Order: sequence, then C-alpha cells, then structure tokens
Amino acid sequence: MLRYNFRLAFENFRRTPQLYALVAFTLALGIGLLSANLALVHTMTSDPIPHKSDKLFHVSMNTWPNEDPHEQPFYILSYRDADHILNADMVKNTAVIYASGGYIRDLQSTEASRINVQIRAASDGFFNLTDAPFAYGQAYQGNSGYEVVIGDSANKRVFGGGNSVGKTLELNGANYTVVGVLKPWYLRPLFYHATEQAAFNNTDDLFVPLETAIDENLPIYARSSSTDSWQQISDTRTKNVYYLQAWVEVENQQQKKEFQNYLDAYSQNLKDNGEHPNKIINQLDDVNAWLAHLNIVDSKVYAFALVSFLFLTVCVFNASSLLLSRQHSALFEHGLRRAIGASRMHLLQQGLVESCVLGVISAIMGLLLAWCFLQLSVTFLPQLQNLAVLDYEILILSFILAIVVTNLSCLYSLIRTNKQSISAELK
Amino acid sequence: MLSMNNISRIYQSDTIKTHALRDFSLDVKQGEFVAVTGPSGSGKSTFLNIAGLLDPFDQGEYQLDGVNIQGLNDNQLSRLRNEKIGFIFQSYNLIPDYTIFDNVDMPLRYRGFSSKERKYRIEQALEKVGLAARANYLPSQLSGGQQQRVAIARALAGEPKILLADEPTGNLDSLMARQVMEILHQLNQEGATIIMVTHDPDQARAVNRNIQIIDGEISDFGVYAPQQNIATAASVEVDNATV
Repeated sequence: MLRYNFRLAFENFRRTPQLYALVAFTLALGIGLLSANLALVHTMTSDPIPHKSDKLFHVSMNTWPNEDPHEQPFYILSYRDADHILNADMVKNTAVIYASGGYIRDLQSTEASRINVQIRAASDGFFNLTDAPFAYGQAYQGNSGYEVVIGDSANKRVFGGGNSVGKTLELNGANYTVVGVLKPWYLRPLFYHATEQAAFNNTDDLFVPLETAIDENLPIYARSSSTDSWQQISDTRTKNVYYLQAWVEVENQQQKKEFQNYLDAYSQNLKDNGEHPNKIINQLDDVNAWLAHLNIVDSKVYAFALVSFLFLTVCVFNASSLLLSRQHSALFEHGLRRAIGASRMHLLQQGLVESCVLGVISAIMGLLLAWCFLQLSVTFLPQLQNLAVLDYEILILSFILAIVVTNLSCLYSLIRTNKQSISAELK
Repeated sequence: MLSMNNISRIYQSDTIKTHALRDFSLDVKQGEFVAVTGPSGSGKSTFLNIAGLLDPFDQGEYQLDGVNIQGLNDNQLSRLRNEKIGFIFQSYNLIPDYTIFDNVDMPLRYRGFSSKERKYRIEQALEKVGLAARANYLPSQLSGGQQQRVAIARALAGEPKILLADEPTGNLDSLMARQVMEILHQLNQEGATIIMVTHDPDQARAVNRNIQIIDGEISDFGVYAPQQNIATAASVEVDNATV
C-alpha cells in the first residue's frame, strides 16, 4: 500500500505540477529563511569545544594597581600575573595569549611581496589546551625561540600548501622556522579570543612563542590598558600593562579549586605588598559561561529568527490554502475511492505520504534557498563570513522542520476533505 | 442478500425537513435483477446511496449479506463496500489519467491482494466486458459505451455480492445502452444480484423485478410489468417481493 501511495503522490504531482511547485516553493521560502537564521543562531550559540568546554577556564583577576579599575575582575592580565599563572604548574595546560598581526614572506621566495597575517602570540600550552589540529609537525616547545606554527590558509598563501615543516618565513625582519602546520581549523565561536567582538573571527594564521613575540615587539591587536607609560611591548614585562588573556585546563573540580586558591593567595599576597588595593576577586569561567558572560549573540539575530518563524507561519497558511483548493478539485476522486472501498484512514495515509514527499522536495529547495540567503548575507555583511554555516545539525533540523510544516499545511485540507459524505463528493 | 426494514432518511435544513426515504422496506434475494424507477427527487438515489453504504440513514435496520450495518465504523463499512458491493455510475466515474488497467485495479488495491492476484482479476474482468485488448488505453480513447463497460469491469473485479447501478445507460446512445444492458443481463444470468436505478421503462420491464419509489416510499402505482416473468403492480410487495 505504501508503494501505491507513493505512486499516487507522484501521479498527483504530475497532474498539477504548477500548483505543487508553488506549494513547495512557498514552503521552501519560509523554511529557507528560518534555516538561514537558525544557522546564524546555532553558530553563535554552539559549544566550540564540546568535549572539554567544562574543563577549560578563562582567568579574570582583580589586580589593577589603583582604586579605579575598569572592571572587577579584569579579563586581561598584566605580564606579571600571566607569568605567575604560567609558572603555577598545577593544572593540565595553560595558555597565555595576545592577538597580533604582521606581514610574512617565504624566505626562499624570490618575490619581495608579503602577506598580511593574523598572529597569535601564545605560550606552548595553547595547542594542547585548544586541541589545535596538526596536519604536519607539532607545536613549538617552550615560549621562546624562533619557531612558529602556521595555519592552513596562511600555509597555502605563503608556501603553496603541503608539508612546510622546516621551511623558513620572515616576519618583521626576523626569520622563523615552521615546526607545525595546522589543518583547516574552525572554532565557532573563537572562544579563546571572544572579546572585542572577535568571537566570530577565523582562527589565527600564525602562532608565535609568547616570549619571542614580546621580545620582537609584535604589536597588540586587542584591548590593552595600563597605568604606566611604555614604549615597546618588551617594556610590558615590568610595567602595569594589561593585555594578556589566560586560559587553563583542569582535570577535575578539585584541581580547579586548588587553582582558584592559588590565585586568591597570590592576589592577597600582592595586596599585602601594596601592589593593588582591590578586593580579591579572581574568576574562573568555563568556555560556555565565559561566552554567555560576553553576551556574544547579537539580540538582533534572535529577533530575525522570530520574524522568520512568523514568516514561515504565513507560508504554511498560504500553502494550506493552495492545497485546500487542490483537494477541492480532487473531491470526485476522493469520493470515488471511498465508494469503492478506501477507508478514511487509507486516504489520510495517502495524503500524508503525499505531504511527506512534498516535504522532502520543500526541504531540498528550502536548504538551497537557505544557502543562497546565507551567501547573500555574507555579500552584504562580510562580518557574517564565519557565521554563515549550514552544519549537519541545521541540515537535519531543517529537514525535519520541512516535513512537519508540510504535513501541517496538508492536514487541514485532508481533515476537511475526509469529513465530506461520499455521495456529496461523487456529485 | 439485501434487507431494509423501515429505513428513514431525513434531510434537514434550518427551516425545511425533507423525508428522502420514509419507512422504506425492501428485500432483494440472491440472483435478482431489480430495477428501481421513479420521478426525479423521489428518493431513488438516496436509496441507492444507503444501499451502497455511501450515506447513513436515520432510522430502521439494514442487513447486507447477513451483516447488520448498524453501528459499524468507517473501516468496517469501507471493507463491506469493497468486498460486497460493486458500483456502476451513470457517468462511469473513471479516473481520466489512469489506464483502463489502473482504473479496474483501484478497488483491488484496498483489498490487499498480491499483484499477481490483482492482474489475474483485472484481466478476467476486462475479458468479461470484451475490453481485454484495451487494458493500456486511457478512458478518453474509448467510446462512452466502452467506458461504461470498464466501469462494469471495475465493479466486477472484486467479485462483489451485489452490483448497484445508477442509471448505467443514462449517458449512452441506444446502441451502446443495449450493449451495456446485455452485459448486465449476462451477469445476472451468471448469478449476479443487481439493483439498477433507471428512467427507461423498457429496461425496467426487461428485468425480473421492478419497484417504483415516489416521495421516499415504494409505490405500487405505475410499476412496469416485467416482460418475461409477469407480475402485476399489486404483486410487488415491499417486504415479500415475488418475482
């Protein structure tokens, strides 16, 4: 019977292709728009590192040297505080980082042109902490030295891709040896640097050991704040300059508690020594808590999603009205089938099979439209580039949504048709 | 085969109450060919719709092939329609996009037969009405008479207990009408029970029993006497019909 119902569905599509195309397109439009918006919301609200997000903690401290701190606690740290965390040696991994940028070139290249790259000055624990995916080589060891890890995109642009381990690149006049090449790496949101509206930026192009970056005066491309005047990045080691972010990976709650105590004791010690006058507030936020705290999801995106949902509702009503007219014109066949022995349940099943097939067609069209909407969004709003992603979860959700809304659209006309008396349908 | 006792059917609008059938009683025996006549609006179609389980009734009792249909649900009624009744409509009621084969196949689909069994039954039914060679034609490629023969084949394919024909020759010219009637008589001679609504006095006379409905009741006025099995109008008793 199921095969027969499928055959009848396709027969019906063949009989009135324009009407069914219109129904499918109407639903696809609503599904496409909602899916595109859901894709944005999903990317913004997803857990970027789900297998360990509850074990990674962002460190905020309250060690501003006077009584007028910007924030309590402050999410950027001074070199002194960050270095203390790095040397704690009581957690699984520690990452101290700051964002930078510069121009690099392949030292072997005969071309003098350089390419602009986004640089991350990072302590060596960064790679294990973030589970950075290596295609070739490995992370650099230690926080000094002229060794770098290069991202996939930069590797292709500078070296033409492939295994570039051992190659040398030049950055700001200094030469660095590539010790690791990353695979394409997507972190949405970019949890390790979600501040300063950078939560949806791409992962970095080049990773430079933290101390080397400071020695080489790689500029700070993020928020910095200080109470002392300073000329070069290397000055920051001994001055009250706040610009570093720190993350730790703990193995369990006990370790987190011990680390918290360690920070509190350290802050208290600083306070006792007159380094800062503030309350002891050291905050450890896990990845999701940190992203929630930063409120990275633009509320406009939620508003758009709501509007898209309402639009889909309108589409469902329109499709339902079209299908009602189709059912009306099919009353005779409906009556005939009932007269020769089809039960209401038979015809309801037939209608549901037809609406499921229509749902699949609408889903495919809707996902294509969603992809088009996202591409269009990126054209007009390039900042959405890293957000406009239809991942498999959204694909599955949209597919189910399409089947459900198509069945909803069909249901009213099916129920209404089934309420007619057979003799009335045959007249 | 078919037994109706004091069946009433009332159509009610806001202001008007119409008795389409009033205390209607009728027994039809296995193998009878009954013609139902009467003026327009007399209740013939209502009778046929109730007999065919297409419409409900308000009062009375109805047994079809020994099954009391009172209280049956939609599934049970559909099954009865499918297994025990074959419909032949005035306007053939074929699906224009389906081939003759697929049209005849329709009731069999709801019976759960295997494809082999369906094919055999369809071929047999089409053979019986002389259209086996046209199985792959569309209805539009056939004459009106041939289309009605397809409708008869569709009604026969499920081997029903009773055939209900609603003016089966109403849309046909006399030659085609004669061909269709010949088939119906042939089926009756082979044992089929047939109830046929008709306006044609000749057709009414040609069957072995006829009844007339006027104002929702069986009337013994102006009943056409059968040509072969003579029965007077007065002898056509509602509950104890004699042929």
